[in-house]
Order: sequence, then structure tokens, then C-alpha cells
Amino acid sequence: MSKNVTTLLRELFAEHELEKFALQIEEQEGRIRLSGSVDYWEQVVTAGHLAGGIRGVRSVVNEITAALEPPPPYRAPVGNPTVIGEADVVIIGAGIVGAAIARELSRYQLSVIVLEKEADVACGASKANNGMVHSGIVQEPDSLRSRLNLRGNALFEEVCRELDVPFQRCNLAVNVFKEEELFLLELLKARGEMSGIPVQLVDPTELTALEPALSPEIKGALLAPTTAMTSPYQLTIAYAENAITNGARFYLNTEVTALEQKEGALTGVITTRGSFRTRCCINAAGVYADRIAAMAGPPEFTIHPRKGEFIIFDRESAVEHAAIATGILELARDPYTKGGGTMLTVDGNPEWGPTAVEVCDREDTSVTAEGLNRLLEKFSPLLPGYEARPAIITYFAGVRAATYIEDFHIAPSNYLQGLIHVAGIQSPGLAAAPAIAELVLEILQEEGMVLLEKESFNPCRREPPPFSELPLAEQNRLIREDPRYGHIVCRCEQISEKEIVDALHRPLPTLTLDAVKRRTRVGMGRCQGGFCLPRVLLIISRELGLPLEKVTKSGPGSPLFSRRTKEPLPRKEAISR
Amino acid sequence: MNHEQIAVIGGGPAGLAAALAASEAGADEIVLIERDRELGGILNQCVHDGFGNLIFGCSLTGPEYAHRFVDQLPQHPPIKVLTDTMVLQLKQDRRLKAVNREGAFEMKPGAVILAMGCRERSRFQVMIPGYRPAGVYTAGAVQRLINMEGLMPGERVVILGSGDIGLIMARRLTLEGAKVLGVFEILPRPGGLTRNVVQCLHDFEIPLYLSHTVTFIHGKKRLQGVSVAPVDHLGKPLQEQERFIPCDTLILSVGLIPENELSRSAGMIIDPSTGGPRVDQDMATSVEGIFAGGNVVLVYDLVDEVTRAARIAGRAAAHYVSGVKRTAGRLILQPGENVAALVPQQLSLPLKAGEKINLYLRVSSEIRDAVVTLLRQGKVIFQKKLRIVRPPEMVHLQIESSLFEDLHDGEEITCRVTAQEVNQN
Repeated sequence: MSKNVTTLLRELFAEHELEKFALQIEEQEGRIRLSGSVDYWEQVVTAGHLAGGIRGVRSVVNEITAALEPPPPYRAPVGNPTVIGEADVVIIGAGIVGAAIARELSRYQLSVIVLEKEADVACGASKANNGMVHSGIVQEPDSLRSRLNLRGNALFEEVCRELDVPFQRCNLAVNVFKEEELFLLELLKARGEMSGIPVQLVDPTELTALEPALSPEIKGALLAPTTAMTSPYQLTIAYAENAITNGARFYLNTEVTALEQKEGALTGVITTRGSFRTRCCINAAGVYADRIAAMAGPPEFTIHPRKGEFIIFDRESAVEHAAIATGILELARDPYTKGGGTMLTVDGNPEWGPTAVEVCDREDTSVTAEGLNRLLEKFSPLLPGYEARPAIITYFAGVRAATYIEDFHIAPSNYLQGLIHVAGIQSPGLAAAPAIAELVLEILQEEGMVLLEKESFNPCRREPPPFSELPLAEQNRLIREDPRYGHIVCRCEQISEKEIVDALHRPLPTLTLDAVKRRTRVGMGRCQGGFCLPRVLLIISRELGLPLEKVTKSGPGSPLFSRRTKEPLPRKEAISR
Repeated sequence: MNHEQIAVIGGGPAGLAAALAASEAGADEIVLIERDRELGGILNQCVHDGFGNLIFGCSLTGPEYAHRFVDQLPQHPPIKVLTDTMVLQLKQDRRLKAVNREGAFEMKPGAVILAMGCRERSRFQVMIPGYRPAGVYTAGAVQRLINMEGLMPGERVVILGSGDIGLIMARRLTLEGAKVLGVFEILPRPGGLTRNVVQCLHDFEIPLYLSHTVTFIHGKKRLQGVSVAPVDHLGKPLQEQERFIPCDTLILSVGLIPENELSRSAGMIIDPSTGGPRVDQDMATSVEGIFAGGNVVLVYDLVDEVTRAARIAGRAAAHYVSGVKRTAGRLILQPGENVAALVPQQLSLPLKAGEKINLYLRVSSEIRDAVVTLLRQGKVIFQKKLRIVRPPEMVHLQIESSLFEDLHDGEEITCRVTAQEVNQN
């Protein structure tokens, strides 16, 4: 098998390059390990994909480095060995996956602890994706991604109902612009049908009847009506809050530094805050899942970060935008993404994206001019009547935690008993999340964990409806109960003081400005907080008992202010002036 | 439902002037609705002086200017003030919904005056690439933070955009002990008034980099620095000349947009060149009984001009509720060569004898020895010479209505600003 990789690598690199780069390939039981040093990150990724694309290869550890594009230096955090907790299951990472697993585990008579290095849940890809609950048509039919996508899509509506999170079936039109590409739709249709996904081919007339905003240049489309939209961060928050209500404990600002083991079995997890005794740990660490895996023994797989950029548009412009989600299918396309599309978020904002850019930095959430232009150029032809540029209100990027197999890696560790990897969760990770949690529970049972149902489990979480959407009489009733409802702080999204105060006192601590934003939408409108920022900060400061200058945007290292004005200068400086 | 005669939305300079003018013109029930805890709007955070030269003949600070109006309110019993009150909705039939700590309520006044002012453009609207760390603020937000909340946004500051608030904040931050590393302006000329360039930058030795922009925002948690680069004549950054400036704060002063969410929800026509509703000489919008005054119509250079425009709206609204209406059609005012924005966009007929019409316009490019011309079917009906016209400085003309006497409903008048010699022939 390694011979295959060698052959493929020869196609990629000239003989002298292979020598210069000192590329080494090791293969063992379908696991490939690559090492050496090339010039560019793109070469690293290509080599990894070549290895991962070989039939029978189950995992790729890619240790090739790019001499001219080194990733930012990694500063290993210092662990604190003092034992501060104990649990039947410790979950590393409070993204959508970690939170979903925590909630599913909280059904049973188990103690569950979730460790999150950031100041809030959903701080990685879980907050920075398009919120689409995919139908599954683009997935390889026999992949784990496909299977869990389908199952997840089927479970999703019920989960959102239980957790009171927005869920809207939006339909998806995958479009082609060239007659000669119509056959691609037939292929996609066949693939969808093979997986049992409802799909429908439509001609241009049917398509524009369904969605008048779409371009008359479109030659045909495949509809996938089970496609839906949700709010990815609200769902993560809801999962976490429901898990907490049912007994799980979340530790924010807590980074894992080591795994403790005895005779090949896990005994504990050490973090920057202290250590936790446990015999079972779930690695849901997203872009850092390979680093966590390597704490248990030899590396088992490599995550290569792939950035996706998105643009969000003003809600007012939605009337000129398509209500259904759209995508473009073409022969010449990036093989590692279906290429993104246009959609409306559950909050009603048009959204375009994502791009797919391989990056060496796992936290490269920057949006580039190139990425913005690429999105605007690619998707503008779909909606000829939509003026995109003036409607932009924000943009962001997330990093997909892809493996070189380009499939989910959900399996017990090869080296450490009690450690389960839930890694490589890229698209359709959101749609698959409920099914991933289900699968993890199955694995835990196979590993010998006994799951006894808890009578007290409450599957439901309720969130009060947005004040601004209530009828007048109801608004008046609430204002009489609490006048803070009558104080609108965010004019764009019409959020009241009471709603902000409530968001600051929920089961899961809300510690930062961004965390308040994700729970209330405050500052997410067209002015992007220009008006309400000072007002929201005053409320956060008051409610959390934190001096204003200590309020952060997204946790430690992100102070919003340097000092109070009119403070006396420090003595030394005062004299030197 | 309450049926006040006139509702004024916004208690900043425009709303104050409009309410007072409506009261002076005889309206007997006016409700002035302000979302903040006190009247005055943005003036309250403007602790610098320079306000009131045109109207009061002296240079006041923002709060002083506001109080010249607030102090008159007790002499105007028809004006009822509602602070801490947010208007959530305005419908085409003038029904509006508002909310405050006492409750949510609806009213249907006889006339509405829009005086919501304007808001700042964000980094996203000018599409600056990069990360989204703490430490990136709009100039107006920083002004409020420093002057009203007593908080410093940071210590090493880069300012993008040379609009007036950006220039004023460069000086303010310097006085508060921060280091302003430079003001970067994408255009080859400053965006703000000349007096502000001199008093806020030159006097403090703060460098101004024209034809430059910020090309990347660095920093995952707190701002670590920005990349800046000169731009070509199309505003495209010259990548090979990009350089990194370490800083902890980026302040944006990249333009103001009239705040027109309510106007749009009421279904009125918005002029894309001003960003505000189309208005006539009475500041009447395209929706019956709804008037607009101040920066909600057009972002003016000076608050004095806001006051003047809002007074017109206030007076006109009072006349409207007393039954005085212009119903004989309209003349259309069209921006022509070198006119980027023009207010009013139409003149409602009939015109009154001796009526003075205030025309505000912004040019697209600078011209020395310019001439403003009004044309009717290609024929010159008015000309005025100006020594210099510059995009940051609005042109104000006062025209006698007699000029338009023989014009009929539906006729167009084009306004252009050209160099003088072109018009000799």
C-alpha cells in the first residue's frame, strides 16, 4: 500500500524534490504516517490527501512540515495537577459535538464534566458555520459522514423542539448554469436516491416559479427539500444548558494539558485549572482533536484546518434574496467542498458561503479580501436582482477540523483504554450532531459502560420568545411585571435590558460580550454594536459585578478597554514628565 | 390609542428644533420621543466646541448647544417629552408603536417628524479584511466611551478615515494620553472639514496619510496591529507597499448613514444618493403627513444646518395638521454633473410668493472657481459662482421661489456644478 503513496508522491514531486524534502512514508494496518519537510503548506495538504485517498487507508498522520509557511508557534499550556473533580465521563470540548454528547449522557445515571478552553461554548466551528442542516445529498453514500448526516437530519426537528431552538426546513436548490452540466444533476439525484433522500429535478420554469429571485440563466436544479436551517451556536448553548439542568457540569476557560494513565487505561485529565479523575474521556476537541489524541500515545490522525468564510447581509435585503438555500454544481469545482451557497439564516439574514481554504494555523479565523471577493463573484450570478455589496453587515470565518480521510473519525483510541475520539467533525457536523451523540453512546456501551436511565431527566428547555415579537398586550403585561422589558438597548435587533439581564443569569455562565451577543443577538444588527456597545457593557458590568474595564469581548486576552480616563498616572511616569 | 397632533421621533438637535418650531407655528400637541435617558442626542458626547457659529454666532460645546434648545422647552407647554422611549414601528398610515418602562403603546398622530439622525458605517461595510478582535471601534462609540463613560479604548491607536469625528477623536485620544499613530484616508483628500484637520491633527503633530487604507486587522483576541498600504487611483491597495503597524486600537471614521429603518418600514421612497427619504422644500417625505429633518435626510456638515432643516420640517408639520397642504403638483430637482447629493429632491406646488427655497448639495469632485447652475430643459435659470467646492463641504443655496414661477407640475430642474469657464459659452 505504501508503494501506492510513493507512486502518487512521485507524480506530485520531482525526484530531486523527494530527496530534498526527505519524504518518508510508513504504513501499518491501513494507517499511514508521512514525514519530511516541503516548502509550502499546500504541498503538505496535497501529500496528506494523496495518502488519505487510497482505498483501504483508515487514517493519515501527516507530520510533513512546510519550511516557508510554518504554523504559528504552539505554546503548550501549563497543567495544574491538583485534583478538583471527578466524573464518570469527561468530555473535552464544548462545541456542538461535545455539548450534544453531554446532553445525551445526562439522560443516564452518570456524572459528566465538560472541559472547554474558551470562555463560552461554541467558540470554534460550532459558531462559525452556515447553520445548515444538510439533507446529505453531497456525501459519499457509504461514508460515516453520510450515515450520520441522514440520521441527524431525521432527529433534528425533534431535538430543536425539545430544546426550543429555531429550526426551519428551507429546501435547497443545487443549480447548474450550463446545458452540458445537467447530467451532474442526474448523478446527484441518483446519489441522493441511493441514500434514500427525497430529491426532485426541476427545469428553469419550475425553478423560477418556486423562487422568482433566482437567475433565469439557470439551466436546471435539483431540490433537496429536507434541507433545513438552525442556529448552530444557539443549539450548542441549548444542548449545554439542558445538560447542566440534568446534572452535567461545564468548566469554561479550562484547557486540557495532559491525560493521565495507568497500565494502558485512562485515570484522569489534567487541565490548566486542575485535574479531574475519570476512566472515560471523550475527545471532542475540534481542530485540536489530534493534539488531544497524541496525549494518549503515538499520533493517530492529523487534523488539517480548512477555513470557511461567510458573509452576512442586512435582514432588510432579504426581500430581494431567495428564501430557499441554493448552491452551484459545476464540473470544475473544489473537490473538498460542495462549494457553499446562499441561504437565509433562521434570523432572516441572507448569508453566503463558505469558501474552503487550507490553512496552517488552526485558529486562522481571518476573512481575506480574496475570500470576500470570491464569495461575491461566485454567488452573485444566482441572484441577479440582489445588490450584495451594500447589504453586507458582517463577515466571519470558521475552521473545519478535517482529517485526510475527509470523513468523521469516531472510534476508541488505539492506545489508551477509556479514550474515545470524536474527531474530524467537519461538514455536515452540525446536521450529524444528534446522531454523533447517539453513536458515541453506543460505543460507550460497547466499551462496557452501563447506561441506566435517570427518572429526573428533563429533555426540554424553554427560552422566552423575543420581547419584540410579542403582541402589544403581552408586552405590556411583561413591562408591568418588570419595567426593564420596556428599556430597549439594541435598536437594530430590538433587544430589551431584561432580555440581556436574563441571558447573564442562565444555567451556563455568560461571561463575555460575545457570549451575551450569541444569546440575545444584541449588537448583531446592521450597526454591529456601534450604538449599544457602551450600554450593553454597563449591564454586563453591573450584573456580573465586574468593573467595566474588566469586561472582555471573548475571554482572557480580549479586554475591551485599557483603563479609566482621568486616573492619576503611575508615579514614575508622572515624574518623568 | 393616543392621537397627538405631531410626534417627533428623536430628541437630538433635529428633533428638538422640529418640536420647538412646530410649537412656535401653533401646533398644540407635540410629543418628542427620545430613546436615550436624556435629550440632546449625539451632542451630549461632543465635549469639543465649534457648534452654533451659524445660528448663535458663537462657538459652543455639544451639550451647551443642545441646552440652548432643551432650556426653551418649559416655555412650550404643547411639547411633551418622552425619554428612554424607543419607537419600534412606524406604518404608512402614521401609526407608530413605542415602548418604555411604563409600557408599550401605539399612537396615530396627525403628522410625524422623523429626526432619528444617522449612524456610523462599520468596518464590515467598508470591507476591511482580517480578524474580529476587541479593540476595533467606530469613532462615535469611542467618543461616547471616553466622554460619557470614562473609559479608554486603548493606548496605541490607528484611525481609519478622516471624517470629522475621526479627526476630533484623534485629538481627544491624544489629550487623554493615548498615542495616535496616524490617520489613514483612502481618498486623496481629507474627509472632514479643513478646520478639523488643522486643529485636531496639525496642532498635535498627528500624521495624516492620504490615499492609504487599512488592509488587514490582526489579532485573535485583542487587536495586535493593522496592515496599511497606499492605494492606487481606484482605491486598490498596492500590496507590495503594505506595512504592519503594531497597535491595540483601530478607530473607524468611514462615513455616516442616515438612520432610516423606520422610514423604510413606513414605505417611503429613499434616495440612494443621500441615503435618506426624498423630501420637498417643506421636508415632507413621499408618505402623506410624514416629515423628516436633519441627518436622517442628509448627513450635514454642521449641527446648525441640521437645526435649520429640522425647523422647516417642524413648521411644515404644524401647517399640515392645521390643514395647509400643497396639492398642485411638483417640480423634480435632478442632480446633474458633479452633484453627488441634492436636497430637496422636489418642490411641491403651489410655491408661495416670496418663499425662499433652501438647496443643499454635495459635489463629487473639487473645483476651484466653480459655478452652480440650475437648468430647465437645458436653459439656465439660475447661476451662482463659488470660489471653491469640495466634497466634504456642503453647498447651501437660498433661492427665491419666483425663479420657478412659470414652471408646471412634473417639470424637471437639473442642478450641476462645473468650472466657471465651461459656462462662458
